[in-house]
Amino acid sequence: MVIRDRTATADDGIQGAVPRLVLEPGTVEEAVGAMARCAADRLAVAFVGGGTMLGLGARPARLDAVIRTGALSRLVDHAPADQVVTAEAGMTLAALNEALALHRQRLPLDVPFSSRATVGGVVAANTFGPRRTRFGGARDLVLGVSLVRADGTPARGGGKVVKNVAGFDLPRLLVGSLGTLALLTTVTFRVHPLPETEVTLLFPGLTPEQVRALASAWRAAQLEPSSAVAVFASDRLDLGVRFEGFATGVADQSARLLELARKSGRAGEQLDADGAAAFWRRHDAVRERGSLRVKIASTPSHLGDLARSWLPSLLGELSPSGAVIYPTLGIAFASGEPASPAGLAAGLRDARQAVGAAGGSLVLEGAPAVIRPVLDPWGPPPPSIDLMRALKQRFDPDRRLAPGRFVGGI
Amino acid sequence: MSGRASVTELAGRLSAVVGARNCYTSASELLTYECDGLTHGRTRPDVVVLPGSTEEVAEVVRLARAAGRPIVPRGSGTGLSGGARPVPGSVVVALSRMRRILEVNLEDGWIRVEPGVINLDVTRHVSAAGYYYAPDPSSQSICSIGGNVAFNSGGAHCLKYGFTVNHVLGARVVLHDGRVVDIGGPALDTPGHDLLAALVGSEGMVGIVTEVTLRLLRKPEATRTFFATFPSTDEGGEAVSRIIAAGILPAAIEMMDRLAIVAAKAATGLDWPDVGAALLMDADGPTAEVEDLSARAVQIARDAGALELRLPRNEAERQLMWKGRKSAFAAVGRISPNYMVEDGVIPRSEIAPVLREIESMAKEQGLRVANVFHAGDGNLHPLVLYDAREQGQEERAEQLGGDILRMCVRRGGSITGEHGVGSEKAAYMADMFGPDDLETMKWVRAAFDPDGCFNPGKVFPSSRLCGEKPGPGGVEHPAVRSGEVQRW
Repeated sequence: MVIRDRTATADDGIQGAVPRLVLEPGTVEEAVGAMARCAADRLAVAFVGGGTMLGLGARPARLDAVIRTGALSRLVDHAPADQVVTAEAGMTLAALNEALALHRQRLPLDVPFSSRATVGGVVAANTFGPRRTRFGGARDLVLGVSLVRADGTPARGGGKVVKNVAGFDLPRLLVGSLGTLALLTTVTFRVHPLPETEVTLLFPGLTPEQVRALASAWRAAQLEPSSAVAVFASDRLDLGVRFEGFATGVADQSARLLELARKSGRAGEQLDADGAAAFWRRHDAVRERGSLRVKIASTPSHLGDLARSWLPSLLGELSPSGAVIYPTLGIAFASGEPASPAGLAAGLRDARQAVGAAGGSLVLEGAPAVIRPVLDPWGPPPPSIDLMRALKQRFDPDRRLAPGRFVGGI
Repeated sequence: MSGRASVTELAGRLSAVVGARNCYTSASELLTYECDGLTHGRTRPDVVVLPGSTEEVAEVVRLARAAGRPIVPRGSGTGLSGGARPVPGSVVVALSRMRRILEVNLEDGWIRVEPGVINLDVTRHVSAAGYYYAPDPSSQSICSIGGNVAFNSGGAHCLKYGFTVNHVLGARVVLHDGRVVDIGGPALDTPGHDLLAALVGSEGMVGIVTEVTLRLLRKPEATRTFFATFPSTDEGGEAVSRIIAAGILPAAIEMMDRLAIVAAKAATGLDWPDVGAALLMDADGPTAEVEDLSARAVQIARDAGALELRLPRNEAERQLMWKGRKSAFAAVGRISPNYMVEDGVIPRSEIAPVLREIESMAKEQGLRVANVFHAGDGNLHPLVLYDAREQGQEERAEQLGGDILRMCVRRGGSITGEHGVGSEKAAYMADMFGPDDLETMKWVRAAFDPDGCFNPGKVFPSSRLCGEKPGPGGVEHPAVRSGEVQRW
């Protein structure tokens, strides 16, 4: 067995925790071997795909080894007629979508850093983008997984068909588990057809109330956008709404939404290709830049709180700063560079408390080293934390998989 | 823990919690609870309790555990895999009294209900406001939300809209020790492991759900339906493949073969022609889009060799077409004294060869199979027809059903698309998954229910079949130690 292994450098670290050893399996069998070696040597091990979400979660409490999945990058199987694809965990989203595009299909997970983000990483970190509005997140698209357990045993769950309820749902259980339960080696997804066309409409300079009213109006009118994103622009919101599908339906829905907005006195325009690309770049910049990156999950009816209170209390402590809201999901992201660490920590605490009181959560996706020691990246654990600990105990009784990275110190 | 209490003692304690009228111990009362929709496997429980609240469920669980009894949760009892079949000595906890709708929030798109609420009643509750609950199992007018959560129920429209797991936002669960825990909630992405994924589809083996928060969807603006007939399932299957390949995502696309059509006609009096295959497709969404999609699909069906195409002129005609499809299971009773419903899944592109294989397998056993299936996602419902009065036919039918499921697995599919594994298909799990896969799944169960007190004997094949090893920290059930119950 040839597993490339080497001595780690600082670049292999996770939030400053540097392992002694880096393993780079090139096949699923080698990944099994790497896990078996970690089990035999009782090594604390974390998994790294493209390394785009290493700021999510806490610094590992122990870290002896890192398994990098980048060389596990093959497309295992694509059945275009069944709209199902299986890829190795280290394949990037961009490479996967390039392969799917040859058959006019795509995996509609429009995640940040898609040229580096890997299939396994996206599942483990539950990363998503604006198209979650229509297509759901990783848990709505994953059908099956192969994994390697902490004890070095390979196993699999789910299947390769879009409909399957046989056995406990290991694939979805691993979504968002951040390497705390098992190493993913392959993932099977349901894929969607590439749309014939797409259109982005821009409604600039709205108040939160106007965004909420417009979203209610298009829902009342039974329009079905594939994405809706409000980008913070000083004290206003620039709302972008995307329709995708066959040309007839897209043209009709776009025209109807512009008309709905016009009736309520809101100006909107259909962006040309360059304009649309520029708008989505503004969104991407917020998701991808800044040493501080925060995700707030709430509900759509809290849009006013998000835009007028929770986000401003953070943005005031960042310079430069940016924020986007996915109004129909009740989710927002903010990012930037801290002006004063003390002020930022206080701002984050205040925002977290307010979000939590409204039933939501505030999670750090990236934070400068000065913030880490004073703020739990996950916030208070949910009431079901005991079950999560029990799950961890079953899957990883020696606490060797990414120990301390997860919620509640798991 | 005290020794095992007698049924009378236990019933007395349970009655004190739920009221004597909600606690059954007489043979006539227990009869209903001996099986679910899979009626050919029956086991009488010792006690049936119908709690009225989360607190009562928690107390019932504590008492049953203290008495060393396995606990079998039950919804409406419409399941088709024996998932609610009791085990000897068990306490059945039926949730049918817990049917309150607790809270609705249309702007955020959710509803919180008790587990005994009937699936269709969720939609009825919000229908006037233009909303609905998407998962639509054929039994939706009688099956309960709690049962849907346990079995991750689908329905004809899950090709586009997903299963129960895609529509459950939160749940309140009573655990094995009577603790009550809330999982998830209306806000997305609760930090931590996705426990809802572990819960939904766990077939009653991790706890008892006493409240569920469900996602509500805005009704689509328009639905367009067409019905097409084909000389055989070859052309019908080809039409389905081409529709999907054209980038069309139907809301539902259903197919029936000749025998199923004959049965549906006999049951409903529909004037469907005598053909080899029939296709029923729904497209839904914004009007202009749907009309475009539907027109494209109709053209594709024609090009693929459709004999006849019918478009309903109004909602009543549309409902009638669906009635024909939805009645197909029961309708088979018109053409055969007995039948078994299977629930296999195959890659959808293999529909035509699979149907030919099923036909030849049936011939070998000297039996007939009617096929009704969700063609868009490859979910087959072969109805194996037999006559129980004929010596050996029932056994041959069971053999054929099992062979069909194994063939589905061989072709890369699944032994169940929506009915669940239950007690009926537990033995086939070893055909689809290896011992390590099953052991890993058992860890999930054990994290919730370390002693395996909830719904034993389901999903996992018995240890003889799969070479089961106890997981890390695995604890043997007291009833196993005492020799009362076999290791499941």
